[in-house]
Amino acid sequence: MVTLKEARPVYVIGVGMHKYQFVSDTLYIDMGLTAVRAALKDAGIAFPEVESAYIGCTGIGMAAGRIMFNHLGSTGLACTQVENASASGSSAFQMAVHEVALGRRDVSIAVGVDKYGDQVRAVSKEAVNRLSDTAAIPLVKYAIMAEYLSKEKGLTGEDLALVASKNHTNASKNPFAQFQKPRSVEQVLAANTVAGTTTSLMCCPRGEGAAAAIVCSEEAIRRLGITAEPIRVTASALQSEKPQQGREIPSVTLAQEVTEMVYQEAGITAADLDCVELHDAFAIEEILYTETFGLAPKGEGQHFLRAGGSAIGGQCCVNSSGGLIGQGHPLGPTGIGQIHEIVNQLRGRNGERQQPDAKIGMAHMIGLGSIAIAHILQKEV
Amino acid sequence: MELEKPDLYRLSEDGRTLVLRGGRCASCKELSFPLTRYGCPKCGAEPDQVSEEMMDGRAQLLTFLTIHTKLIPGMTPPVVVGEAEIAPGMIEEIMLDGTEERYSDGMMLQAVPVEITKGEATMIACRFAPAEG
Repeated sequence: MVTLKEARPVYVIGVGMHKYQFVSDTLYIDMGLTAVRAALKDAGIAFPEVESAYIGCTGIGMAAGRIMFNHLGSTGLACTQVENASASGSSAFQMAVHEVALGRRDVSIAVGVDKYGDQVRAVSKEAVNRLSDTAAIPLVKYAIMAEYLSKEKGLTGEDLALVASKNHTNASKNPFAQFQKPRSVEQVLAANTVAGTTTSLMCCPRGEGAAAAIVCSEEAIRRLGITAEPIRVTASALQSEKPQQGREIPSVTLAQEVTEMVYQEAGITAADLDCVELHDAFAIEEILYTETFGLAPKGEGQHFLRAGGSAIGGQCCVNSSGGLIGQGHPLGPTGIGQIHEIVNQLRGRNGERQQPDAKIGMAHMIGLGSIAIAHILQKEV
Repeated sequence: MELEKPDLYRLSEDGRTLVLRGGRCASCKELSFPLTRYGCPKCGAEPDQVSEEMMDGRAQLLTFLTIHTKLIPGMTPPVVVGEAEIAPGMIEEIMLDGTEERYSDGMMLQAVPVEITKGEATMIACRFAPAEG
């Protein structure tokens, strides 16, 4: 297999976002164009320089990207819509990266844009019943896991609340985040109980928004005279889950497999990571993934959290954007919003959410089904 | 009375418990649940390779909790759900009968018929309850 280290180098040269927000009358085209124009401005290039586009979205309908790009000028760029549930944006980004790495295009854009759609899932058309009516609801699976870990590993409701409090507080400093209020552990615990010890503030909100990232080759950087600091993409991997072994949720096992793949591809270890944006649709996930990613020993994710290891300024800041819990999870844009955050961290322009001296970051998403996807981004020094 | 999910279970002979409809693959010899129209989920064998195998409906409860919020249409919280081993190495999410005070991790359960109302219709659903004996 050809790795991104061996292939033609690929760089993120521009990122942009439209604020994530609760369901509104804002047109998806307005949100998408805001993100795309911000990314173009950040990269310092004009739209006609973009040769291909991958659009991650789940709830808008067919040809969302093509309709949106009509309003930027019909340049004839290759345009592909990507649906991979929560990982739609991440998958769009991966396709843009691979296309540039292969040398088929020099400049490509990944755009995530979404409205809260009808949320129809293919599993509802599988014509296979399950014993439990909630068997296809990820929240219940993770809440059960939290319950199990509370008995087996001493995980507490306060630990889950600490994840949510950290991420809501990070989000309160992020102008693109859906939630803008810092939350204390006590406030998170006092929110409505959803299932077991999981409260509503430990869960990501539903919403809408947009994010965009432009990637290009070294040749394009020279040819277009790009002066924005390029951030190299050094690894990209996606896998789907295997049958459950023991008590570990398959998506958690899968997350470990994918991160091991990207560490190997990038030639790094968990100790090299300075910042991570991960799939915290539910607070328990962040604790589990910090373990599977190797940031904390197995079974000790809550200790890593309590010691401030995942805080901004800690060993490796996790979800400085606010994560899915705080920044929001509009599906299509989410994975590209993570790229936006990591690029800003590695460029050292993340304001009061800046992780000191950040050089290597990882973005990780889970998509319903489940699939896991991860990217490693590195500042070249 | 009609079963809510007849593709998953049937009433046992005495009508007091439910048996689960699994599938045994002639190709890989593995048991899977539920039996589906698509073939063997373990090895991908064609549907004609999979024959129905009734499972006794006994299960070991691993973890459980109460859902307090209406997560899907038709759900009336509180609802108790859990994970149980319905056959060696086969873990499924299940619905438990009654409130969580009846249950503890590791206890043996039995699939039992419970009357539920869906819209205008009354039907028999599968719930798990503490096993007798």
